[in-house]
Amino acid sequence: MHLAVSLNIASGQPLAFSELASFAKQAEVVGLDVIILDDTVPDSGGSESPFEATTLLAALATVTSRIGLVAAASTVAHQPYNLARRFASLDIISHGRAGWHATMAQAPREAANFSRPEGFSADDFRRRVEEYIGIVQGLWQGWDADALLFDKVGGHFHDPSKMHLLDHKGEFFSVRGPLNVARSPQDTPVLVMSRVSERVFDLAARSADVVLLDEAEDAKTRHDDLKRRVAACGRKPDAVKVLVNVSGARSDIDPGRLEELCRSKSCDGFNMAMSPSAFGGFVEGVLPELRRRGLVHQGYPGTTLRAHLGLAGGDQ
Amino acid sequence: MTRQMKLGAFLWATGHHIAAWRHPKAHVAAGIDIDHYIQLARTAEAAKFDMIFCEDAAGLREADVGIASQTSRSIGFEPISLLSALAVPTSRIGLVSTASTSYNEPYGLARTFLSLDRLSGGRAGWNLVTSASPIEAANFGATGLKPHADRYERAREFAEVVRGLWQGGSFQGHDGQSFSVRDPLDLPRSPQGAPVMVQAGASDVGRDLAARTADVVFTAAQTLEEAKAFYDDLKGRMAAYGREPNDIKIMPGVSPVVAETEAEAREKHEELQALIPDDVGVALLSSYLSISDLHRYPIDGPMPELPETEGMKSRQALVVEQSRRDGLSIRQLARHFAGARGHWRVVGTPAQIADELQARFEGGGADGFNVMPSYFPGELDAFATLVVPELQRRGLFRREYEGSTLREHLGLKRPA
Repeated sequence: MHLAVSLNIASGQPLAFSELASFAKQAEVVGLDVIILDDTVPDSGGSESPFEATTLLAALATVTSRIGLVAAASTVAHQPYNLARRFASLDIISHGRAGWHATMAQAPREAANFSRPEGFSADDFRRRVEEYIGIVQGLWQGWDADALLFDKVGGHFHDPSKMHLLDHKGEFFSVRGPLNVARSPQDTPVLVMSRVSERVFDLAARSADVVLLDEAEDAKTRHDDLKRRVAACGRKPDAVKVLVNVSGARSDIDPGRLEELCRSKSCDGFNMAMSPSAFGGFVEGVLPELRRRGLVHQGYPGTTLRAHLGLAGGDQ
Repeated sequence: MTRQMKLGAFLWATGHHIAAWRHPKAHVAAGIDIDHYIQLARTAEAAKFDMIFCEDAAGLREADVGIASQTSRSIGFEPISLLSALAVPTSRIGLVSTASTSYNEPYGLARTFLSLDRLSGGRAGWNLVTSASPIEAANFGATGLKPHADRYERAREFAEVVRGLWQGGSFQGHDGQSFSVRDPLDLPRSPQGAPVMVQAGASDVGRDLAARTADVVFTAAQTLEEAKAFYDDLKGRMAAYGREPNDIKIMPGVSPVVAETEAEAREKHEELQALIPDDVGVALLSSYLSISDLHRYPIDGPMPELPETEGMKSRQALVVEQSRRDGLSIRQLARHFAGARGHWRVVGTPAQIADELQARFEGGGADGFNVMPSYFPGELDAFATLVVPELQRRGLFRREYEGSTLREHLGLKRPA
């Protein structure tokens, strides 16, 4: 099974970069697939975050070499062209280990800080997110993997027929493209979706690489429903990985429960939300037990995040 | 201590020369090689540069896909992610990135740069641009470029909001013409008070905005007279905003070609010029002049009369003046501009280049220079190992960093 650790960097005292770097290195040593960096928006509690997630991801990429790095970035805070560019760049900086965590729910106070005091209606937000994701994924495919020629003598830097305009004109955005960042070693950054309600299951089935679902009684039903829709889009059911969110705040992850969800094929793995301080307890207390039960792999099968997750793309 | 010059290492693609990527010693894969950039950053830091400077455009540089494919500028790293990565393997050098006020929101931009600033221990700066390219506009739903004055009015409001947000918890919210922001940032204050604000616009409204908000101004000047006129004008505007002349560092771009002997330097320069295809040179010149039909005029004839544009007004005036002054044909002008993009080019030995920089610096035309190497890594290495020691020997440049933040390097006040 796949293991992600989701880090809410805004909880508790603001962490120093060195503490976050140690955490990332430790997560890599024990072979987790991916670190997911949350990005908070101001709430009434006024919690402080030490860093913005995409900049933190870039910095962490330089102190790690294998583990996947996913950052949250809001569709309200960024224009789609800018977001696509940031992540395409992060994917090259990390040698194909980056992903974008897109949340399908509107953060309550966010729009008011981005010149949209009225926010978006739920319906508008959903249609806008759908259009947005289509643009980002389209931009990520603007350059073919063999587009760069580097022919100094002939004077051909790239092959213009392998660079593609997007020419998107939609309800909320119009974006001509192409992106001015090359194709990454894993083809495109991994798209992780969270807060996926039934209403956006079809969008997730069509576009996501990873879907984060909350732990619930009906986990199996929802997993099967999503995978059925993935197949209905003409994708292999395995092309989307379902990770169930588990809280590791009190180091109380129950290996038996994880095994049960895994063996009943209710998910492809887990996303453990925890603070860096709780992570040590997980590594010493829970991970050896998961290994003993044969549930987690040792070491990385490849070099890219797509390779770790068993997703197609790149040179694996 | 005598006044010392500030130096920026302006990193761009395979080099600032349009044909840089074709040079045998240029690293052609720069735009996909993070280790290359880490090496450049270390070189610049070892030479005690004040900062690394990255420019940016959210789109292709050339409208014509055939022209674009003969340059290395269609792909590269997005600069904020690039500088965030460079913050880790460096410890002293400033990290300055360009970002547009036309295609961002102040809250997101302020937050991202503050994060870079915190990751680097107080070494970040933002170079404000309003974006003059219709190619960029087409990636943001815009059907055409907004008028120059409107772009600057938006930029003025944008900069005001960003500055307020960087002041932390005292931010009271903003409800203005282009932007509304409710909350203060959710990040702790900057280790240097606030990231450094850089600006490049040289038009009348651009100068006023700089006089009001900028810490550093990046500019293009061909001669000492031009440089001095700009310098005096900008510093003269600052009093109106309650600022002292020393609160802004003016750093013109300089594109040096350096070698041990003058003959070698000239040969190196000629070698680069010969690599420029004519159609690429003319296209580049056209885009700098914001005109689309320059290729219709005879290439060996003079520059045609130009209409008023909504693009880069200041750059256009500079080019027209130079073509008249030197009696250059379109081809000659295209090659000349393709090489240094309208910036000042000096070709010579380390002592000759140091002489030129010293004359501008001491002649009242500059507080420092943004160094634009022709190709990477070779020409940054050459400046760092040949010119910097000569400047240090003359007491014109630091031998060690004075502090740890970019504001300290630049001798700027810490904002309240």
